[in-house]
Amino acid sequence: MTTPISRRTALRGLGAAVALPWLEAMASSRALAAGATSAPTRMAFFYVPNGVHMADWTPTAEGSDFALPAILKPLEPFKEDLLVFTGLAQENGEAGPDGAGDHARALSTFLTGARPRKTDGADIRVGVSVDQVAAEKVGKATRFASIELGTERGAQAGNCDSGYSCAYSSNISWRSETTPMAKEVNPRLVFERLFANNQAGSYDASQAKRDRYRKSILDFVADDASQLQRRLGANDRRKVDEYLTAVREIEGRLVRVEKKTEVHPDFAIPSGIPEDFREHIRLMGDMIVLAFQTDLTRIATFMYANEASGKSYPFLGVPEGHHDLSHHGNDKAKFEKIKTINTFHIEQFAYVIGKLKAIKEGDGSILDHAMVVYGSGISDGNRHNHDDLPVLMLGKGGGPIRTGRHLKFTGKTPLNNLYLSLLERMGAGVPNLGDSTGPLKGLTG
Amino acid sequence: MGGVVRMLTVSFLLAFALPTLPAETPEEAAFRTDVAPLIATYCVKCHGADKPKAGLNLVKDADAASALRSRKAWGLVREAIETGTMPPDGKPKPPQAQADKAVAWLEAQLSKVDCKLQTDPGRVTLRRLNRAEYRNTVRDLVGVDYQPTEDFPSDDVGYGFDNIGDVLTLPPLLMERYLAAAEDISAKAIADDNPPRPMVKHITLDEKSGGAEYSKRFGRILASEGQVQVGFPFPLDGEYTIHLRAFGQQAGPEPVKMAIKLDDKVLKAFDVKSVESNVGSFDARVRVSKGTHLVSAAFLNDFYNAGEADPKRRDRNLVVLSMEVIGPLPVDGGKLPESHRKIVFKKPKGYGDTETWRAILHRLASRAYRRPATAEDVTRLLRLVELAKQDGERWEVGLRLAIQGILVSPHFLFRVELDRSSPGASQRIDDYELASRLSYFLWSSMPDDELFEAARTGGLRSPGTLEAQVARMLKNPRSRALTRNFAGQWLQIRKLRDVTPDKDLFPKFDPPLRDAMRRETELYFEEIVREDRSILDFLDSDFTYVNDRLAKHYGIAGGSGKDFRRVTLTDGRRGGLLTQASILTVTSNPTRTSPVKRGKWVLEQLLGTPPPPPPPNVPELQESKEALSGTLRQRMEQHRSNPSCASCHAKMDPLGFGLENFDAIGAWREKDGANAIDTSGVLPGGQTFDGPKGLRTILMGKRTEFTKCLTSKLLTYAIGRGLEDSDQCVVDRISESVAASGYRFSRLVIEIVMCDPFQKRRGKGGEPS
Repeated sequence: MTTPISRRTALRGLGAAVALPWLEAMASSRALAAGATSAPTRMAFFYVPNGVHMADWTPTAEGSDFALPAILKPLEPFKEDLLVFTGLAQENGEAGPDGAGDHARALSTFLTGARPRKTDGADIRVGVSVDQVAAEKVGKATRFASIELGTERGAQAGNCDSGYSCAYSSNISWRSETTPMAKEVNPRLVFERLFANNQAGSYDASQAKRDRYRKSILDFVADDASQLQRRLGANDRRKVDEYLTAVREIEGRLVRVEKKTEVHPDFAIPSGIPEDFREHIRLMGDMIVLAFQTDLTRIATFMYANEASGKSYPFLGVPEGHHDLSHHGNDKAKFEKIKTINTFHIEQFAYVIGKLKAIKEGDGSILDHAMVVYGSGISDGNRHNHDDLPVLMLGKGGGPIRTGRHLKFTGKTPLNNLYLSLLERMGAGVPNLGDSTGPLKGLTG
Repeated sequence: MGGVVRMLTVSFLLAFALPTLPAETPEEAAFRTDVAPLIATYCVKCHGADKPKAGLNLVKDADAASALRSRKAWGLVREAIETGTMPPDGKPKPPQAQADKAVAWLEAQLSKVDCKLQTDPGRVTLRRLNRAEYRNTVRDLVGVDYQPTEDFPSDDVGYGFDNIGDVLTLPPLLMERYLAAAEDISAKAIADDNPPRPMVKHITLDEKSGGAEYSKRFGRILASEGQVQVGFPFPLDGEYTIHLRAFGQQAGPEPVKMAIKLDDKVLKAFDVKSVESNVGSFDARVRVSKGTHLVSAAFLNDFYNAGEADPKRRDRNLVVLSMEVIGPLPVDGGKLPESHRKIVFKKPKGYGDTETWRAILHRLASRAYRRPATAEDVTRLLRLVELAKQDGERWEVGLRLAIQGILVSPHFLFRVELDRSSPGASQRIDDYELASRLSYFLWSSMPDDELFEAARTGGLRSPGTLEAQVARMLKNPRSRALTRNFAGQWLQIRKLRDVTPDKDLFPKFDPPLRDAMRRETELYFEEIVREDRSILDFLDSDFTYVNDRLAKHYGIAGGSGKDFRRVTLTDGRRGGLLTQASILTVTSNPTRTSPVKRGKWVLEQLLGTPPPPPPPNVPELQESKEALSGTLRQRMEQHRSNPSCASCHAKMDPLGFGLENFDAIGAWREKDGANAIDTSGVLPGGQTFDGPKGLRTILMGKRTEFTKCLTSKLLTYAIGRGLEDSDQCVVDRISESVAASGYRFSRLVIEIVMCDPFQKRRGKGGEPS
């Protein structure tokens, strides 16, 4: 009984928080203090594994006059905020010289557009992901440069995909070529992390002291690490580099917290991982909404499940494992079940979008200032193809992006071209990213 | 274009036509007849010298010797030919017989290593403590069992294990957790001598706490099962009492039942017999770390009977009138936790007592860093203590800060091994590093005092010492870590946590059965370790462990309740690991068995000959009855008629079919639905067998392959890196020695501990910088 109760409380809490317009809630806070005159731009990426049933995903008509196919129906209320992209590709997901391992490549290319090195461990390497490029450039404006969420922990044993380390199948976000950003799967821990012990009262003397001690500890260990680093070989040095980067990230956060008023969400603490998968997804979505609303971060990733997840959905009448099903062999009964799973995922996505759209901010909603991408690194689960990927986006990013359209691309246009454009909107523009060939054409109309 | 290709092909053929050496080895001859013509005819059009596709130029490796120098590339060639992914669709494909010959040659030759040339001990990348190691090390270092390691982000897996240096990364999220954990752990380890007076804090209950408003001013009523829950910020670490005033609206045969919970863990359950006219008080005492925790009162037994004559006794409800938190309470009789007494082995006379401070910090840091702390290490830690002094804090606060520094230091979080001799040369790791390798291998934790002492005196490598230490360590209960962490991953029983058999098809599967399955395999593994039995018992034996639940699942008579007992197996159905429900379940699909997954498991985990992954774009087994007909086996055999699938499935499927008497949760069955089960199999090479008993006989016949496989897995786990070609010789040598000693488990461990990859490391010259 625990879960539904806390869930209901949670919803009520979020509703109450909605009543606070962004400008009021943040009147004294970072964005305005920094001289911002408009709401900040946010970006989020939602990932689903094992591809989708494309026949019920891709709209038939192009342009602004298109009907939503079955899987996308739950997005009907947000159709004016929606862009469906057809024909985008992650070519580095293709086998090329590396043979099997399409699932590992699907996830590790999805936000990087880079070819993952085929290794079970030694020298794992892919590329920096789009969210982390943005976090590096604009993350300092908020307490958390980015947040990484999911529902499934990394694999506990065994081989994940054909000679690729499990790191490739369970991490979507890569801070550097060699460091994946581990994801958090427990909504309670996310909440605690975001709002620490600031449920009641403001940033007080005892917290200030704790942070001062933390800073001293971090100084101490950073010295240890720098001294140690000089005595190590190249591979070991890389590990200590990772360590130092993490230390600096947290140090920076401690400095940033001092300067700001704390935020206190009117939201009950989640009590843990709900047994009901739908609740779990929604609660994680709530966390992203809260983090955006309180401007604790502007960048988020969320994985519905690890790539090649064998999760079953008995509560939808699908007791088979998702991955096994995705190898449908053109069996119609399997198509139906895959479609059921796909639609369920989109429904939960629509829930988050609804929240973002409901929260007023400046002259619009958070959704107006956000770019929320949803997709998979595999198109058809049976063929394992990485072109014609299922990708869509909601929100205008606070700018001239013209939504309410279905855009078709040809010639395996890199998905990273879209990201290049989004980074530009984030104020984190880069000349290229992974296999990008230039900004995506037609985004602004 | 065509001309160029033709010319390339011709020159490629010429290279074979004109052997430069007059005396050709049998390997070269076989390459020339079995491999080269296939490559020349079907591959070099794309993979030639001129702009080779995927950067793979097969022309340059014109003889066996050069092919064997590019092992990795030719491994891919083998895989591509075997699985039929190359040549791609639409291009001419080699006849099956020719492809088989080439694959056979590559398979045999690529695994050969010249052991006389190999002396490289390899070099493991700096290993971060993984979650299990962190928790155990904290337990052994400061005496605190820190459970929230479960909440650390999971450690990624490489080569099948989660203790691989290269794969253990350290993202900021984890560093945050380390920092918070260090605060918690230091607070638990070091108590205050005289804590401040306890305070009483009233908790406000409102609509956010759950339940409904009871009276206008206070109280919440729970009319159905649920709870009143509030996040309460505990100001300090310590013991607290949670005090409730509550009563029940009584109905039905039993009184209202309520639980007081902290963070959703039940602290105490009560029968609430009190009523509104006589409200009851309820207390639960708990040790809490500083910070916000969820305090709740849960209503456990809702009841409603509209037919009850007395309208006041129709509906059972719980009313919580008030909640208070009292604390922190004084420590009992001034008794300090053992961890405190162990660390503060001499109480400092205030901050000025530098000598005592140095002694305390030196001992703690030396154990934490797993090597003697330097004077500078101690001086720097003292500076952290100094901070608390400047703030006017009590000395315990200073000590806690130093402990936090230690627990977040890279010297603690990483298992540091330093280069001492000239670059490039291989060198023995020092005795402290060796002690750590030993303790993390067998205990997933830091060395104990005895190992440290052996390292300090330099006696760890004296004759007989390592053998004696290994024997001692395997007998120590800490060696259960080997079961949880090595066996849990080797056998993949950790995945049991995530399996979801279909509830309709397998209604008997529930958490107690899942736990019993895991426990059986753990106890079985532990007995082989503890009793130093033959590793061949993993393949076949006449015993196992069951509790009531599992005995019923297996159809074994006799009871022992929840406790496990050792039973002798007599019916020939089960024996060894492979017929244990844990493994049979993790290798099944939610709705049915998967002979392919089971066969693959045998090849990968027991025989060390993993089949290549399936080529993409091959339709999987059709479930719909119209498409293919017959039993699962018949349908699979129809599916296998596709030649690019056949070669690998011929290896996997028969092994899996031999286990078809076990359903998807490992229960015995005679029929699959209405169909009879055919458990006979023919292995590549013509060997036949029938059923699980026959399969076990087959496996016992492959004991050499099994011994090598287990050696490879355990060595990977022990040294924290993937095995290289050069390690193959070590694996062979260890396997032979293990066989010669009657396959004793301890021999396997000792041989691993004595081998070069465990004792030495390559100098830093041998890696890219």
